[in-house]
Amino acid sequence: MGLFLKDINLKGKTALITGATKGLGRGTAQAIAEAGGDIIAIGRNQNELNSLGNTIRKLHVRYISFNCDVNNFYRIKSFISKLKKLDILVNNAGTNIPESFLNVKKTSLETLLNVNTKAVFNIAQLCANQIIKLKRRQGSIINVSSIFGLVAGQKRSVYSMTKFGVEGLTKGMALDLAKYNIRVNSVCPNIVLTPRTKKYFADKKYNKYVKNSTPINKVVTVSDVATAVAFLASDASSMITGSSIIIDGGWTAK
Amino acid sequence: MLKKINLKNKIALVTGAGKGLGKACSIALAEAGAKVIILSRTKSDLIKVAKIIKKTKGSSKAFVCDVTDTEEIKNILKKITRLDILVNNAGNNRPEHFTKVKRENMEYLTNLNMKAAFNVAQLCSQKMLKAKNRKKIGGSIIHMSSQLGKVGCEGRNVYNMNKFGVEGLARAMAVELAPYNIRVNTVCPTFVETPMVKKFFKNKKFKSQMLDNIPLGRVAKESDVATAVAFLAGDTSEMITGTSLVVDGGWTAK
Repeated sequence: MGLFLKDINLKGKTALITGATKGLGRGTAQAIAEAGGDIIAIGRNQNELNSLGNTIRKLHVRYISFNCDVNNFYRIKSFISKLKKLDILVNNAGTNIPESFLNVKKTSLETLLNVNTKAVFNIAQLCANQIIKLKRRQGSIINVSSIFGLVAGQKRSVYSMTKFGVEGLTKGMALDLAKYNIRVNSVCPNIVLTPRTKKYFADKKYNKYVKNSTPINKVVTVSDVATAVAFLASDASSMITGSSIIIDGGWTAK
Repeated sequence: MLKKINLKNKIALVTGAGKGLGKACSIALAEAGAKVIILSRTKSDLIKVAKIIKKTKGSSKAFVCDVTDTEEIKNILKKITRLDILVNNAGNNRPEHFTKVKRENMEYLTNLNMKAAFNVAQLCSQKMLKAKNRKKIGGSIIHMSSQLGKVGCEGRNVYNMNKFGVEGLARAMAVELAPYNIRVNTVCPTFVETPMVKKFFKNKKFKSQMLDNIPLGRVAKESDVATAVAFLAGDTSEMITGTSLVVDGGWTAK
């Protein structure tokens, strides 16, 4: 901590990350641990939870994992209510099933609403209540949103509906939680190259679309997003709430 | 995974560097390792800022200048070898009810907050482009905007007009300068504990009205804003362009 420059420092803080085994979740867990924060990882693949643990423990912070589907409300509730420490939630678990609006299957709609909207809401509510119960006096919740929480994209009607919803939820939560000094923000990345999006990038047409839509001629990296999340998690952003950090190389500026 | 705020080997220029936010940003950028060119109309202020930067083992060079004088800015830019970061900060406010705004005040604020902001940004962009490796090393321009670049407020109509304008300028510049890897963003603070705001807050009714509008219930510190500027200045934000960091304690979330 300098005179006017605040570090991204998470020593002594505990962060819960959903969808922690892959892509953005994994990168975020690593970034938070590098900043000194302890990690609670929720994911569905035990081998990957174990391998993440090996990476995180090397950074000399504590690591707990919980193998659970974010849709399993009662298991998640019981787990969160037993936590002794909690300061930060990275509400990251999410999914996408790209389909043209006219052909969206009922099952796709259900899946996206369950994971991207209802589970996001439920976990945020459970964690906020736990942070307050633990009398931590401050907290930070980061919802992983998307540029499709701000603008539309082809075959993204349901995804946009869920992510616009997350943007609204972020602002609503920020107002209700301000008096507990719990800040709530979102990050809105462009399409990041992750295991889930790899298949999209394999399509040449899609690749070109992303490239042409991004004024800064680069693909967003997991590290770009994880750094923004760590910044929002830390006291370096102690007056930022109800807002979004857009990491899109200028996509939504046009 | 976590990118630290590090501005070693970068040269930054800050306007309105003598007081308040400009002073805080200059010191924060120096603390992050940048060499800082500080501009202000008041020599005694510059001497003080330079002294603090020297004390924190940073490096600065001061120029007395009026940002509304384009020729002065041109001359200063001729004297520096390279420019990587601009904090386009100089600005002012003269609150008046819309029906009572004096023509001279509208002229003064618009000339400073818009015309000078545009000219300084254009001249500094041209200077940045003189570096042959700009595309590789990147550049960053941060406009000091305001929460009033996002929402309206009583008695702030001219300031609103100016800052909404700066928000538009930032997006357009971001799109046009992206091919050169120069990023352009704004920081939108709520009321900050600066000499300018302290003057407004002498009016107790105004102060309590304003605090009621900030969900976190406190005004921002200069370090909150300076840290956001430093975050946008370097590679921590290398895919963030054409957007705003809103440091407003939730003001605009409502």
